[in-house]
Amino acid sequence: MNAMRRLAAILLLAPALALSPPGATTARAEHACPAPPDMAEAAPLPGTFAAIARGDLRIMVVGSASTAGGGTSGPDASWPRRLQALLASRLAPARVQLEVFGGRGTTAAEHARIIAMEAARFRPHLIIWQLGTVEAARGLPPEEMSASVQEAAARLRATRGELTDVILMDMQFSRFFRANANVEPYRDQLRIAAAAAGSQLFSRWQIMNHWAETEALDLERAPRDRRVKVADALHDCLARVLAGFILQGVGDARR
Amino acid sequence: MLRALSALVRPGRDLRVDFVRGLALWFIFIDHTPGNLLGHLTLRNVAFCDATEGFVLLAGYASGLAYGRMMERDGWAPAAARIAGRVGTLYVAHIFLFVVFTAQVGYSAALLDQAAYLDELALDPFGQEPYRALLEALLLRYQPAFLDILPLYIVVLAMFALALPLLARPVLLLVLSLALYLAARLLDLAPQGWAGRDWFFNPLAWQLLFAIGVVMARADPAWLARRFPWNRWVAALAILGLASVAVMLNLVWHGPAFGLERPEAIAAWMAGVDKAGLHPARLASVLVMAWLIAHLMPPQARFLHGRLGTPFVLMGQQSLPVFCAGIFLSFLGRLAIEVSAGVPMQLAVNLAGLAALVAVGAVWAWYGNEGSRRKKPPPPSLPAQSGPATP
Repeated sequence: MNAMRRLAAILLLAPALALSPPGATTARAEHACPAPPDMAEAAPLPGTFAAIARGDLRIMVVGSASTAGGGTSGPDASWPRRLQALLASRLAPARVQLEVFGGRGTTAAEHARIIAMEAARFRPHLIIWQLGTVEAARGLPPEEMSASVQEAAARLRATRGELTDVILMDMQFSRFFRANANVEPYRDQLRIAAAAAGSQLFSRWQIMNHWAETEALDLERAPRDRRVKVADALHDCLARVLAGFILQGVGDARR
Repeated sequence: MLRALSALVRPGRDLRVDFVRGLALWFIFIDHTPGNLLGHLTLRNVAFCDATEGFVLLAGYASGLAYGRMMERDGWAPAAARIAGRVGTLYVAHIFLFVVFTAQVGYSAALLDQAAYLDELALDPFGQEPYRALLEALLLRYQPAFLDILPLYIVVLAMFALALPLLARPVLLLVLSLALYLAARLLDLAPQGWAGRDWFFNPLAWQLLFAIGVVMARADPAWLARRFPWNRWVAALAILGLASVAVMLNLVWHGPAFGLERPEAIAAWMAGVDKAGLHPARLASVLVMAWLIAHLMPPQARFLHGRLGTPFVLMGQQSLPVFCAGIFLSFLGRLAIEVSAGVPMQLAVNLAGLAALVAVGAVWAWYGNEGSRRKKPPPPSLPAQSGPATP
């Protein structure tokens, strides 16, 4: 049975993975949203792989303002919805469900409570957990943030076994934020938290920093009347790179 | 130029202490300008501790020297009064820097048209509740990012004024200090900040490092050397320990970028190494480094008088003005790096920053010496103790 599933998954995934090398989505998107050359590769995502094999992938997204769509033209333009659309088209006929939790100003501790509550009901195969911004801005203890991550991961492992993969996502890059909040300790702590929780870190900060430095996408320097448009493009690009990251992790789990 | 700087160096002190202190002050400036490429080269990239630990330990050392002598000569009240004056100076400096910080946040928010960010990130309590924020800043309960070392220093120095009589009984001083540290860590004792923010550095825990510095300064160097003798095996173990910490930290931080597995159990332990409460691992690493430096760097090392050493020695000897100038300059550095983070700007910020820090140290040494010479000419028999030993 298991072997059959694996075979089915490989057949299902083959077109999606064959179309593109790991880390990229489509040729056009890669051109428009180049991931930084030193970006970390995804580790295998066994839970997500198994879910796709069964034809039904449930993704839980938890985060603060930017996850709730901050700055974009609407919820459909936010990175979680763009990610869902991209994955759905790439993984068809598998079904991709995605629910977004959290909201503006929510902390990692609150996210952990949401995960504890909602994971039992939604039974996600993949949790994308965006955190760190609120902690860094308010100067909350970095260790408490990683403690929340470790507790949530331990609880998930106890209740869901290997069925749920966790990807942590750090803050948006912003020159203003970098200058006026002590961001580095929180970024360091997120890396440690990801390692300690057996999850992985998708560094949005590093990617957006790369885009800002190469002048590909720079939300902060966009003129005011174009800002919503740039935010939409940014969220779309982030979703593309993240989709590539996830598909690569799924491809590695197949091997 | 070198000769002019050398002339300003106060003789008769352990120049190694001043040199390391100057280095710590430079690192603090670098770590306070996020986006600075040199930030990848400072201590915190390879060790649990960073320049702050070094700064506090050596501040304790310098205070032990200066006020210990005063205590012996004049008694508790005059020495405590001097420390109180120092605390007052630090407090005023902190409030000044707070005002500069607030102006800088407002300016860069306007520059980048970032009102939305301010709102979203709650980075601007000042804009929302200006009167309350001002009051909380005066009470040291509101400490914006990067303005957290001086409040620590203020509280620890005030505690030191009260603890002065214990200088004669160093063991008791250390035991009490350790007891307070343990109580702070185990019972979660910490001064409350505004709106649920804790202090970035808990002074009740960090006072231990300061106290260790004080006791080290008071101890007879020969006794210290006998008590903590050089041992090749211990040194090898210490270096091995520090090196493996450096490897572990970087494996956990950067391993995934190179496709390397991260050790989960070690990362889980690392996640609990807190800075606010001065985790024992941080304390141990700074003390081990101090021991290594004390033995590996000869007191009369030539570079301490050379082109490389002298500017840092000078900075270390004038630590308070250089520290405050460093924080002030880091605000300007941040504004500059906000505008451009390219190589020319990086060079400009770092060269101008270091030059300005050395200049502040030099001017202060010159001006301070002038002032003290005018007030009371030093007796020629005591050349080593002539200048006011500022902590």
